[in-house]
Amino acid sequence: MIAAIKEFADRFLGRGEATISVPSFDGALKPNQRLEEAEIVLESAAAEDLTTDGANLFIAAGSHLLRLDGAAATPLRGFDAPITALACMSGGGFAVALAGREVRVYPSLTASAPSAVFNDAGMCAVNALAPTPEGALIATDGSTNQGVDEWARDLMERGRTGRVFRLDPKTLEARVVASGLRYAFGACAARDAVLISESWRHRVVAIAPDGSSRVVLEGLPAYPSRVSLAASGGYWLTMFAARTQLIEFVLREPAYRKRMMAEIDPALWIAPRLRSGVSFMEPTQGAHLKTMGVIKPWAPPRSYGLVIRLNAEGTPIYAFHSRVDGINHGIVAAVELGENLYALAKGPGRLLKVSLTSPGNEVGA
Amino acid sequence: MNDMILTLRKATKLYAGVPAIEDIDFELARGEIHALVGENGAGKSTLTKVMAGVVNLTSGTMIVDGVEVSPKTPLEARQLGIGMVFQENSLVPTMTVAQNLFLGHEQFYNRIRGIYIAAQQFLQSLNFDVTPTMTVSMLGAAKKQMVEIARAVLHKAKVIIFDEPTATLTPEEKKYFFDLVRDLQKRGVSIVFISHALEEALLLADRITILRDGKKVVTDEASKFDRTRIVQAMVGRDLSNTLYGARKTKVRPSGPRVLTIQNLKMAPMVKNTSLSVFGGQITGVFGLVGSGRTETFKVVAGLLKRDFFHGGEIILHDRPVRYLVPATAVRDGVAYVTEDRKIEGFFEASSIARNVYLGLLAKFPGGRWLLSGREARKVGASWIERLKVRAISDEAKVVELSGGNQQKVVIAKSLIQEPDLIIFDEPTRGVDVGAIVEIHELINRLADEGKAVVVISSYLPEIMALTDRILVSRAGKIVEEFSALEATEEKIMYAAIH
Repeated sequence: MIAAIKEFADRFLGRGEATISVPSFDGALKPNQRLEEAEIVLESAAAEDLTTDGANLFIAAGSHLLRLDGAAATPLRGFDAPITALACMSGGGFAVALAGREVRVYPSLTASAPSAVFNDAGMCAVNALAPTPEGALIATDGSTNQGVDEWARDLMERGRTGRVFRLDPKTLEARVVASGLRYAFGACAARDAVLISESWRHRVVAIAPDGSSRVVLEGLPAYPSRVSLAASGGYWLTMFAARTQLIEFVLREPAYRKRMMAEIDPALWIAPRLRSGVSFMEPTQGAHLKTMGVIKPWAPPRSYGLVIRLNAEGTPIYAFHSRVDGINHGIVAAVELGENLYALAKGPGRLLKVSLTSPGNEVGA
Repeated sequence: MNDMILTLRKATKLYAGVPAIEDIDFELARGEIHALVGENGAGKSTLTKVMAGVVNLTSGTMIVDGVEVSPKTPLEARQLGIGMVFQENSLVPTMTVAQNLFLGHEQFYNRIRGIYIAAQQFLQSLNFDVTPTMTVSMLGAAKKQMVEIARAVLHKAKVIIFDEPTATLTPEEKKYFFDLVRDLQKRGVSIVFISHALEEALLLADRITILRDGKKVVTDEASKFDRTRIVQAMVGRDLSNTLYGARKTKVRPSGPRVLTIQNLKMAPMVKNTSLSVFGGQITGVFGLVGSGRTETFKVVAGLLKRDFFHGGEIILHDRPVRYLVPATAVRDGVAYVTEDRKIEGFFEASSIARNVYLGLLAKFPGGRWLLSGREARKVGASWIERLKVRAISDEAKVVELSGGNQQKVVIAKSLIQEPDLIIFDEPTRGVDVGAIVEIHELINRLADEGKAVVVISSYLPEIMALTDRILVSRAGKIVEEFSALEATEEKIMYAAIH
């Protein structure tokens, strides 16, 4: 009873759980235009994920696996369903998730048959794969209700059915390491645990082999997605959209959301998007988007581009941004190769290259 | 300069045998702007108080318009044509501007309307845009100063002495004040002004006199001085590299996030502001007066309350907090060092030790039943030594200390609480250069120890020299962030204004 009164009071006063606020991009997350100014290496509307074996960059684009050779992408092989996640295995070979429902492990790029197949009936939105040093594979399944492309619906339904699988290609065992996550999207093997992005809770957690979890980074101003290792230690964390007060408000209004999902075109929902500025009918927060016809870079974003460099402890060091007035939004994957960071901006369908040797990385550090 | 309106010869003032000023020769020419510069305790205030009849000379002579005088009271000095505008203005806040102007000069029968008309005409003749019927408490700092000046001129002052006239003014108001002073100069009024802002002395004064330890070091034309020479003469050593001199080449990296403010609202001053403060780093907050920076951090420290409805969120160490009183914030490790130390910083009639001890008591939930005088003395002595507070004894009253030492007491009162987050609001306002260096060293040391430090300042060189990252506040919200490496005065000022 007291809890109910408190909840009502909080909703009325805008306090506690009902506080509608978002963290700011400051400190290590101080905005810049490094992603917006990045070199465009490849344009592919279907590009979904990136991975590297240390020498080559592989791209999952639709149902095809591509390799980046200079400025062009070479098709390596095709699959019978769209690839939703991709990983190079530590002992050679690679793994793909197909349509979010099946994970296949191949011993080599040319192998015609997979060495292991995991198609647990419960898999619905496998969106990231990460190899472990022991030769196993970590897979994040965003939701058991919505497919990979239906992530916005999962957010609007306040889904909390995300899971983390540990897949062992040797024994073909698929074990659920964690469940009840609010959209698991991205995994990376850390020293003694696995880093998992929990998008709808705006945080990164470390899940130990025994299933216990520890919050590594929370209170993020954006929705985290895939994580990859940085060459000099630490990680690259991609963020596919930024939070706004308007969306936070809508997320506290179940009746409104229900009606919005039933009646409005999903492209025009008050929800984060991978790209924006397509239609004048897109909802904006308080008409704050333009001044004198110019888009304000600091306006509340409908879509945003962000990659955060984390140190080994998971503390942000610096970040690359594409701000509201930019195009390279919806970053879903980033991989370091050589002296460059390759980032996949799913919004415009671009593969971007950011030099890590050029000055400016320390800004915001 | 033969036409001297005021001359002091071998002026000496002793307090209990200790000289406050000693053998000072001072000359003020007709229509001259003369700046008095020196560290706190250098004798500037005593010297000007002698001129204004507030303090009497122990030995030496004072000559006004060629006549040797010895004003015993401010009234006598006023009759000689010497008026003084004090730092804390001497107006009666509940009276109107006109009533304040004619205070002490009332006739047997005063016709209110007649006073207003006379005041209006007089203020217009000075080009002062002040409404004579307005109550003084409704006026801003600059307008109050105008009334003070007008009062001095009304009393036919030939010499007007200003004590720290710009300390409470905004940059715009300062510019206006400078114009006023120049206008007075054109009317033949001689000006003496005390200022800690050396740029102002260089900009405004015709001549500058520098005092140190109660003695005159040098008097020369302002054009022959630069900042380094003044500072050197003031403190007797070269501080150019420690005080705003050297540009930062390295900043401290962000430590863990200590404070997050999300969409904080406190109408009408704070409008949806968001920021973070990290450990092991000095976060500077710059903004013009009225930009909401002080109010934002007063909300954090529980001194002000955010909006009742949808007031936003304050997260301290990953925990949402909402302080209704400052004591709770103190217990959670938040310290706020006020910008207005005389009103909010200390009990001026209490000793240094007692003031510092009060800071310690604030740490205990519900206070303490028994107070220990011995503990207070011990704690006081230790902090006096740590912060190098210069006082006759630990039992000296705070009111007897110079501005810099008073500020150190306020800081000690907060640091004794062992805070994790320390908010310094204008930490060096009204503090002499020697103490500024010491306070800056202390702030740097706190950041090096891993504390989260916030420095709010409207003095750009201080922000740029001291902080690692700079947040710019405008119209109630943070509008820009700079790393200290990339920041320039132009960039910061542009963000603060546009």
